[in-house]
Amino acid sequence: MKRLVDERDVKFVLYEQLRVDRLCDHPRYADFSPEMFDMAIEQAEKLADNEFYPANKIGDREGCRFDNGQVHVPAAFHQPYRKYCEGGWLAMCDAPEVGGQGFPVVVANACIEFFAAANWALLMYPGLTHGAARLLERHGSEELRELYLSQMYSGQWGGTMCLTEAGAGSDVGNLRTKAARRPDGSFNIEGQKIFISSGMHDLTENIIHMVLARIEGAPKGTRGISIFLVPRLRYDEQGQLVDNDVNCGGIEHKMGIHGSATCVLNFGENGRCIGYLLGKENSGMRIMFDMMNEARLFVGMQGLAHASTAYLHALQYAKDRVQGSPIESLKDPNAKRVAIIEHPDVRRMLMFMKSGTEGLRAMMHLTAYCLDRVRIAQSDEERELFQDYVDLLIPICKSMGSDLGFRVCETAIQVYGGYGFTSEYPVEQFLRDCKIASLYEGTNGIQALDLVGRKIAMKRGRLFKNVFKASNEILVKIKANYRLRDLIRIYEEAQESLIQATKFLGLKSMTDEFHVPILCAKPYLDLFGEVVIGFLLLWQAHIADRRLQEIYKDHNAKDAEACGQVLKSNRSAAFYRGKVASAEFFINQTLTQAAGKARAIMNNDKSALEIPDDGFALV
Amino acid sequence: MNIVVLLKQTPDTESVIRIAGDGQSIVTADLKWIINPYDEFAVEAALRLKEKHGGTVTLVSWGPRRVVESIRTALAMGADSGVLIDDPALTGSDGLGAAKALAAAVQEIAPDIVLCGSRAVDYDLAERGPMVAELLGYPHLGLAVALDSDGSVVTIERPIEGGKVSLAADLPALVTMGGSHAVWNPRYASLPGIMKAKKKPLAVKTLADLGVDAGDCGPDAAKIRITALEPPPERAPGRIIDGGLDLDGKAKALARALREEAKVL
Repeated sequence: MKRLVDERDVKFVLYEQLRVDRLCDHPRYADFSPEMFDMAIEQAEKLADNEFYPANKIGDREGCRFDNGQVHVPAAFHQPYRKYCEGGWLAMCDAPEVGGQGFPVVVANACIEFFAAANWALLMYPGLTHGAARLLERHGSEELRELYLSQMYSGQWGGTMCLTEAGAGSDVGNLRTKAARRPDGSFNIEGQKIFISSGMHDLTENIIHMVLARIEGAPKGTRGISIFLVPRLRYDEQGQLVDNDVNCGGIEHKMGIHGSATCVLNFGENGRCIGYLLGKENSGMRIMFDMMNEARLFVGMQGLAHASTAYLHALQYAKDRVQGSPIESLKDPNAKRVAIIEHPDVRRMLMFMKSGTEGLRAMMHLTAYCLDRVRIAQSDEERELFQDYVDLLIPICKSMGSDLGFRVCETAIQVYGGYGFTSEYPVEQFLRDCKIASLYEGTNGIQALDLVGRKIAMKRGRLFKNVFKASNEILVKIKANYRLRDLIRIYEEAQESLIQATKFLGLKSMTDEFHVPILCAKPYLDLFGEVVIGFLLLWQAHIADRRLQEIYKDHNAKDAEACGQVLKSNRSAAFYRGKVASAEFFINQTLTQAAGKARAIMNNDKSALEIPDDGFALV
Repeated sequence: MNIVVLLKQTPDTESVIRIAGDGQSIVTADLKWIINPYDEFAVEAALRLKEKHGGTVTLVSWGPRRVVESIRTALAMGADSGVLIDDPALTGSDGLGAAKALAAAVQEIAPDIVLCGSRAVDYDLAERGPMVAELLGYPHLGLAVALDSDGSVVTIERPIEGGKVSLAADLPALVTMGGSHAVWNPRYASLPGIMKAKKKPLAVKTLADLGVDAGDCGPDAAKIRITALEPPPERAPGRIIDGGLDLDGKAKALARALREEAKVL
């Protein structure tokens, strides 16, 4: 059994829910066909399964090694990295003009799920390079692009994003790295960055850093931040690569993603570090935000991918592990022992994992699909509409992906029982590797502030209204299905709860109790995310139920017994029934709590603010 | 060098195989299909020969239209063109019937060398290579784990009990691939390869196109019939030797179980 990603479910989202085959009707994707998408996904799975996955546990055990300024990645990472780059995967969805393969973002996202599930620590190296290369492509001068871009998109050189400093994490405006003008228009860079993923490693000979710094004399705070391209090796006047005074001061020892080098980087220790401005002076934050959506979606994908592989591992274990007797013969010591998948509590955990994973998958790929629709929009209005969907969904993808992904990993350990806690089995690594996703690329608290403080209020609430306008148009069609009526009712109540909570927070933000929306931002994001997932699973149930009824009809199954026979013998029927079950489980178990969660937001509980600091504990 | 690879599409080795109601075939709906892994070794070996000597790699396969996907995948790996024999008359044919059709298609190409897997992971009959070689009058070198050619002679290595043997034959010849994934390490299709594969020539032919009489290779001509299929017995749960024994005791109990029960020692 494959244990990375449920490929059938990926295809369901792509072709039956999002109808990505229709993207090929657009000139930008006219060279593609669904068969080519399938072939790419198949190769991604193969490469992930055969090359990435075997290096995952080794990378965790071996970790990165810091030795006299150089960082060595786990030896087992080199071959899969090379094969990944040779296959053109790093720039899968980038334009052919810059060395990309031109695939739709949503198809690339589907492939990323396999690589991410197989070995996230390894995928971070090309992932970071891709983000940095995109930034250079969009904001670099022609000269800089000419010098550095193609080596980055090919994976020959690495790339990073250097934001965080010891005193500037979530508070990025507080950064102290300096940039001093040089006569030729470049800058001397001086400062220290920490927590830099892929900051130094031996996978590539050169690494191109995108560094946030303040030009001398620029305003304080985020308004005075500029962004610079700072290569580890730069070209000198003769066109030779020379050392650029970027040094690694050490690597972090972390809970997870041991194979990913998290570095302290010192720029200009010897006064010889040169950086090149990207975009205009003092526009560093705007440029960084431009990249943020894709970076945050990528982190959401990490949560999804860990959930996906944790679920499939737990499912396999539950089918294999024999323990205990069936519930109806619990007291009979001679009763036949059964696989633990027979036990109701184990099935409940598996359903939590299944529905959560599938909901996240639909959300991530929907968001990627919206990025494609922005790319191929026929009018400014259409482009803005899809960009609005993306902007609203991104903090939810990032936060829900990482939080729910982590909970799925945790539940996988629970299914394994005590064995899951041991390092003999792989699920504890998934949990450790997954945890970072709620922290980096803006903590989930920051995501909630982005949602409540920016996205909801943006354009007078239009993003919010547009998303629900679109979902309600689909809901009208779903409502024609009487078999789903109970689920629809619960969903509509949950949606109404969310709308009420949104109005409440909107009103509070205009009063002197404006800190209440900030206090409730994270619970609000969670409620929002659950409603989105509930909707997407309901939509899937509608599609799946139609297919299931067709199969029943083809088999002339008219009563429950006959349908039951079809479900046993026909794997497609079982799949579609499973999709309906995911919606049933999530909506019944989670969305029914929406009203309570909305109430928790709206009851104006300020205990967390009012408690004196000493009241937390007299220690 | 003009190279032909015989390529068969088989169910993915990780597919759940179910036996159909007739007890003589498998349920093919919802199966995931792949290139027979041994044929994939042949594609890899062919591409290496091409890299060394130049020339072309042509894929020849038979089966329904879904086989096109597997041919395209091999084209994406780097092969140049494909031929699919898609003829309803072949449904229910035996290995010899299929071999006749394949041999006819190969004959048209008149290659220097034909490569194919020594066996397929579906019915595991290991007869296609020798049969096609016989029908074409080519020498047949079986179970290669290494292969080289100077353009007029092919040499292979194959394992034999306790050692290996080197064999050589004049071209044209047919070689079947043995070994394993680790031996051949077939390349992955790259994304640029997938883009190019779409535009590479892929001819779909019928038996009539190849001048083969359907009566010679269809089900009526079959000399072998499948009479029954049975699934393997269900896997028994593993046994953990414990019984409060110390290390020596456990080792003894394990050795006893391996000798007396499993009879492998």
